[in-house]
Amino acid sequence: MSGNNILTVEGLSVTMDGVPVLRDVNFSVNQGEALAVIGPNGAGKSVLFRALLGLLPHKGTIRWRLDARIDYVPQRFTVQPSAPITAMEFCLLKSPGFWRPRAAFVRQVHAEIALMGLDPAILDRNLGELSGGQTQRLLIAWALLNGPTVLLLDEPTAGVDAGFEDTVYALIRRIQLERGTTVLLISHDLSVVYRYAKAVLCLNKSVLCQGVPAEVLTPAGLAELYGESGYYRHDPKVKH
Amino acid sequence: MHSSFWIAVLVGIASGSVGPFILLRRMALVGDALSHVALPGIALALLYGFDPFYGVIVFLALASLVIYWLEGNSRVPPDTIVGLLFTASLAVGILIIPKGDIIDSLFGAFPELSLPFLLGILTAAAVLSVLCFVLARRFLFRIVSPDLGEIHGVGRKYDLALLLIFALIVALGIKLVGTLLMGALTIIPAAVAKTVCHGMRSFVVVSAALGGVIAVGGMWLADTFNLLPGPSIVLFGVALFVLSLPFGMRRTQ
Repeated sequence: MSGNNILTVEGLSVTMDGVPVLRDVNFSVNQGEALAVIGPNGAGKSVLFRALLGLLPHKGTIRWRLDARIDYVPQRFTVQPSAPITAMEFCLLKSPGFWRPRAAFVRQVHAEIALMGLDPAILDRNLGELSGGQTQRLLIAWALLNGPTVLLLDEPTAGVDAGFEDTVYALIRRIQLERGTTVLLISHDLSVVYRYAKAVLCLNKSVLCQGVPAEVLTPAGLAELYGESGYYRHDPKVKH
Repeated sequence: MHSSFWIAVLVGIASGSVGPFILLRRMALVGDALSHVALPGIALALLYGFDPFYGVIVFLALASLVIYWLEGNSRVPPDTIVGLLFTASLAVGILIIPKGDIIDSLFGAFPELSLPFLLGILTAAAVLSVLCFVLARRFLFRIVSPDLGEIHGVGRKYDLALLLIFALIVALGIKLVGTLLMGALTIIPAAVAKTVCHGMRSFVVVSAALGGVIAVGGMWLADTFNLLPGPSIVLFGVALFVLSLPFGMRRTQ
């Protein structure tokens, strides 16, 4: 592993219920880099993230640099609507002082919430009362608490208003540049990939292409990845 | 009577402290069924002449391990298996327990305890209550998102910890409240608190306090009107729940 390398994946395979979901995936990520993972529905993108996070049994090696502090924005996040859990208490899950949080932690919560364009008043609201877009922005703010060095974002703008999508990506880009955070991003939006990622990984059970988006995302390559029907049919609401 | 009062206060508080987590994990029914498993434990203890309390502890701890294993290894929600298994154990217990002891075992009694035993129960109840507060963040992490919990070092062992704490609290209250109704004592304070509380921290605090109030109030009713303590406690709690409903409705409007 070179000095700048924060993640190396070699020969990664995941099998679920006897069905191979990922086959012999190899790639590496440098510190501070933004890597976009693209591919059709059912390509194993979310499974790849879950394996990287140590949530799934797998074959092959996943090597994170020892000092990597990883956080994650999941694609799906649902809490019972009636559960009395406020957005602030959700943030306090990452604070050692749950009953009496330190002032510094509370300030950090307010700062990240403001960064994501949320009104601090939502901190007193129940998680179940938040809209899809508010929840998604809260999740990103939550992931930023305690300063992770690596962020894994699984379709971070699912449920966010169309107008706010660009803002979210611009914020992620800003965090990457200002804080040196390594970003791994699953996206269905190729324009996002072109604009915000220096590297792309095309995945359909195995890696079909990787490199700089402008170079590897050729019409022929995309046709191979998404099939002849075209990638524009990709529906982000379909579960992976 | 004095010893029953102290058991009611502390076991009530302990029940109220663990209840919110059981309720939010949607384990209210599993928890209720769990208390039935105590019955064969009582039966075997009576048969072999040792204190039923130890039979209860062993059987409840085993039952929580079974639930934990089912949660990790079964794709079907464990409710069905738990329902069948635990109802069967209730039936087995009833068949084995001598007739004279059945009513007390099912519905509770004012227990006569030696001082060291009483102090043991009270200390255990206090320690378990404190544990619920100390581990609240981790229990809540597992409820909100097991995946995010796992990434932040809050793994499945905390699911087991919650089940074992719950089983022990049920065991502590079983002499007073009985095997049929002790599960209910852990759920009712949380159900009342949930209708009036806005956040998790107030939910746990109010539920713990209500646990003490409900257990003591029910005991007072049982003592005054010469009733069984278990049903009196549960009915008093359910009455409070009904009274709390308008608050909950007003909040959601």
